[in-house]
Amino acid sequence: MSPTAAGLVALEAGKGTRWLLRRSGRGGTSLPGLIAERIHPRLAGELAQGIRNGSLLITGTNGKTTSTRMIVAALRGAGLIPLTNREGSNMLRGITTTLVAAASWRGRLPASDQLIGVFEVDEGHLPAVIDALSPRMLLITNLFRDQLDRYFEVDFVASLWATAFQRLPAATTLILNADDPLVAYLGESVSNPVLYYGLEDGRWGRSQLQHSADSRRCPRCASDLQYSRSFYAHLGHYACAACGWHRPTPRLSAWDVEIGGLEGSTIKLQTPWGPQTLEVPLPGLFNAYNAIAAAATAYSLGVRPDAVKAAVGDVPGAFGRLERFELDGRRVLLALVKNPSSFDQVTEILLRNRSTLRLVLALNDNGQDSRDVSWIWDVAIEQLCGRLAWVIASGHRAADLALRLKYAGVLEGPPDGRPALSTMPVLADAVDEGLRRTPPGEELTIIATYTAMWALRERFVRRGHLAPFWQA
Amino acid sequence: MSAPHASAAGVVTLTIGYLYPSVLSQYGDWGNVRCLQQRCHWRGIDVEILPLEVGTAIEASAVDFFFMGGGADSQQRLIARDLVMAKGDAIREAIDAGSVALLICAGYQMWGRRYRPFRGDDLEGLGIFDAETIHWAAEEKVTIRDITSAGRGRMVGNVVVEWEGTTLVGFENHGGRTYLGAGARPLGRVVVGAGNNGKDHTEGAIVRHAYGTYLHGPLLPKNPALADHLIRLALQRRYGEVPFPPLDDGLEGQAREVALHLHR
Ligand SMILES: [Zn+2]
Repeated sequence: MSPTAAGLVALEAGKGTRWLLRRSGRGGTSLPGLIAERIHPRLAGELAQGIRNGSLLITGTNGKTTSTRMIVAALRGAGLIPLTNREGSNMLRGITTTLVAAASWRGRLPASDQLIGVFEVDEGHLPAVIDALSPRMLLITNLFRDQLDRYFEVDFVASLWATAFQRLPAATTLILNADDPLVAYLGESVSNPVLYYGLEDGRWGRSQLQHSADSRRCPRCASDLQYSRSFYAHLGHYACAACGWHRPTPRLSAWDVEIGGLEGSTIKLQTPWGPQTLEVPLPGLFNAYNAIAAAATAYSLGVRPDAVKAAVGDVPGAFGRLERFELDGRRVLLALVKNPSSFDQVTEILLRNRSTLRLVLALNDNGQDSRDVSWIWDVAIEQLCGRLAWVIASGHRAADLALRLKYAGVLEGPPDGRPALSTMPVLADAVDEGLRRTPPGEELTIIATYTAMWALRERFVRRGHLAPFWQA
Repeated sequence: MSAPHASAAGVVTLTIGYLYPSVLSQYGDWGNVRCLQQRCHWRGIDVEILPLEVGTAIEASAVDFFFMGGGADSQQRLIARDLVMAKGDAIREAIDAGSVALLICAGYQMWGRRYRPFRGDDLEGLGIFDAETIHWAAEEKVTIRDITSAGRGRMVGNVVVEWEGTTLVGFENHGGRTYLGAGARPLGRVVVGAGNNGKDHTEGAIVRHAYGTYLHGPLLPKNPALADHLIRLALQRRYGEVPFPPLDDGLEGQAREVALHLHR
């Protein structure tokens, strides 16, 4: 059960690095794992063998952080001790970092019968993590277009996953979103147990796919999929007229979803464990999906329904997903956007609940955002026409945002009704200006990409308005 | 802004044939069509957009401007047969008669003679450009494991191209390497980035009024000189000289300025 000699050397190097980083006051990096992995690539697998209850992996483009938090809380409520990669990244090196931190210098994890691994995994790194950890359960939330400059196309990612699934232990359970055709189709080619979850509440269906839909082709024969309902992006109820393949009927389904504005939603579920009701304190249909996915996973692990309900009902907003706080007497609403579908979802929630927005938009093009900013042209910015008091474009690519706003027609209107546009690339300047223009007691909305969100959050943390993300 | 005078035929209308919008809509390429639409609208020129999907017939004389965007290999395969077999003759007829075309990435590859993807059979192209494209991994005969290690040979990054005494800015993201024959003239010379193939410093191709390029971004909003050049070419064919007032391109200029100073 303990690591090999090479593993112990790698572990020592990883622990040493972590200690140095901590001493210099730096948390939340995956450098220890990276260094340990360079020395001994199999270290994560060797350490993970010490996890008594095995590991589960959570992946997908949107919602994996929120789902992971709910699952971790549910398992804790059930008396288990989840080991999770909150610190570090969701690549293999981040998971290695988590294991290095938890292990003793002899490579032993806490010898607890309650220990269970719960790891959030980046889509592109899923095959490597599967090979390293041989998980007992795998949750896949969805597969959207995101950072294509790293991972090419969604169907290519899906094909890499399908190949990796052939190497899963036979008993590994797959929890799959039935409403995402690319994800659902993955269940067709495995002999593993599969639990499908999905949304049956037809009130949320639309007849047409939104512009940001990525996949509307049949994954089996590449013909057009017909959607009888479309929830958001390419999630919905679909069937292929050409080959007959269709959405699998979910065994765990949400038949009634009440969305209560920015406050959250109430979900009624039909499950193999009986009917359940969940209160989700996070807004929007995508958070309802996150709760359904987390509940499906927790029930499958044998967590009692009341522990699941409590965990879902208590979840704090994951990093930057529509956080609300007070700043200099103004209400601030902070939202993270990662790709066209998450941007459209955020805009839709905001517009359903607010008549006009005072808006700071921040776009960066660092590696963790997307170096290619073309994706903002696939966002339905046009929805904001007539709904902005004013807008400030910020971030490294503020000028690109300004141009997108101009071509969306957002800046047009009668002379007295044209929203003013300012371009202020420096984030701090944009936020200060936004606060100055927002009357006390009123609301300022900030929408930002990943690294812009990090920078803003750090600033708000320093000023004491928010807790640091990795302590939260 | 003053509207241009109505031509003899009445209102000035630009008809854009948008090839396969539901299949090829990656990397914001739709923004090029949005840009054409708005720059015409701000000048009082009407724009009509004809979606040309698989199975849609084309009336060659009706289309002033063809647009085709980028997509994955699998998506290219879906439309290849329809493009070459069903629409090829009408498109060639229109281009010979002076129609304008802007083809991005996959669109550009498919207007060449042939595309050899990483996996699967070669795809026959329209052959309007004397150009052939081969996926880098097919050219170097690598395995699937190499290709997943961060897309080693893929050409990804910011691009600056010399074009007609000025510059074009954009973002490229392609696995295919395109080689031009004697019958095609490059759109421009690469200053930053890979361009057609990362070897000969050429980027894109021009034949008559058909422009092929690898530049996403999308291309036209940050390169308004090219956008206006293409609109004027398309209008001249049907209306001769049309009043074409300049627009305020302040925001476009700022975005270009940022793009010119980005790292690769
Ligand atoms: Zn089919």
